Amino acid sequence: MLKGLKDISKELLRAKRVEVILAYKRASDGVSATPSFVFEEKDIGNLVLDSYCVHNLSNYIKDFPGEKIGIVAKPCDVKSIVVLLQENQIKRQDLFIIGVECRGVIDEKRIHSSDMGFDEKCRTCKSSLPPFCDHLLKDKEKIDTKSEDEDEYVSIRKLEAKAAAERFKFWQDEFSRCIRCYACRQVCPLCYCPKCVADQTMPAWFSKASSLKGNMAWNITRAIHLAARCIGCGECERACPVGIPLMELNKKIEKDIKELFGYEAGKNAEQKPFFASFDKNDPDDFIK
Amino acid sequence: MTQYAIRNTQYAKDWEPRIVGFLCNWCSYAGADLAGTSRMEYPANVTIIRVPCSGRMNPLFVLKCLMNGADGVLVSGCHTGDCHYSQGNYYARRRFAVLKRFLEYIGIDPRRFQMSWVSASEGAKWARLICELVSEIKEAGPNNMGTIKDA
Repeated sequence: MLKGLKDISKELLRAKRVEVILAYKRASDGVSATPSFVFEEKDIGNLVLDSYCVHNLSNYIKDFPGEKIGIVAKPCDVKSIVVLLQENQIKRQDLFIIGVECRGVIDEKRIHSSDMGFDEKCRTCKSSLPPFCDHLLKDKEKIDTKSEDEDEYVSIRKLEAKAAAERFKFWQDEFSRCIRCYACRQVCPLCYCPKCVADQTMPAWFSKASSLKGNMAWNITRAIHLAARCIGCGECERACPVGIPLMELNKKIEKDIKELFGYEAGKNAEQKPFFASFDKNDPDDFIK
Repeated sequence: MTQYAIRNTQYAKDWEPRIVGFLCNWCSYAGADLAGTSRMEYPANVTIIRVPCSGRMNPLFVLKCLMNGADGVLVSGCHTGDCHYSQGNYYARRRFAVLKRFLEYIGIDPRRFQMSWVSASEGAKWARLICELVSEIKEAGPNNMGTIKDA
């Protein structure tokens, strides 16, 4: 796969098909990977491609406005590109997507411990191939497809089954640790608002201090803003320095929307964004 | 102190719920007006904020009310198909179906956020709705999220 990546990168840069390639290189710790922006052919040698390449590189597309970009994209990453296309944030013709067959990425938090393994999101992931791409890098060995009936919402259902007071206590404890570093926002490929509500002062929607009230408001707002857009790449949770289970929020909304409306984010770039469309038969049993 | 800790205190006994109602200009606001001009009686716990359309409603409005201590939030608009702007209430319906479930998941009492369709001719429905809403929120008790200290 790596050889295939280097070949196609060389070809793209030589033919001036792209100006930059978003890929991965080895980080300074010698183990993990770090994003690498390749402008010249001589840098292609440093590229790596393995299960340590955890980052969702589509987050960096917005840093190269108007340029032709080649991007190494795992199935998750292609899904977030789909949402960006749906929302007219990027142009398809500016992108050359180098799709990667994915067997899962490792959990960075456990990278130096003995029980190192794949990330939680990969355990229930059903697609090892990106939905579409311009060039596909296939694995030599066959990747066994996972069982279709594995429930990805086990932890959500567990939490839902608890009493309201218990749930409130749980989230209050989690949110009280938030230090409002906004790493979750910075790392999210779909958090691209030029001015975030959290940075607004007129009106100030919620407190900027890292106190429980402001933290709750921020985390709820972030989750709601990603409703029907989050494709579950898990970058927010990975970036969170205090370990708030942010995916438990995102997944809950994803599950509700799937149940109520049968909509899944990141499937179809031609479709209108979920909240910019409606169906006359949408559920209304909660309305009096 | 959690949301649930101030039950059975003297404060809880004397307490009257404060509810924020976001009403669409064309139907619900006129419906509430009709209830008033028809001299219908209903509890005075709702503070009404007029919005151009229920589609104008941002989930942040609801969140801000709840975070600052409103005991309940009501969003009310035209019946489906009757929106003055043709489709605003359809968008709102989708948005708030998701928000309602999500607030419940966080542990906020689902009775605190409600939605209704009230047309300009449904003054009686409005009065009945508020009676029901106030008694539901009274059951739910005071929302003390407003008393959580902010640094």
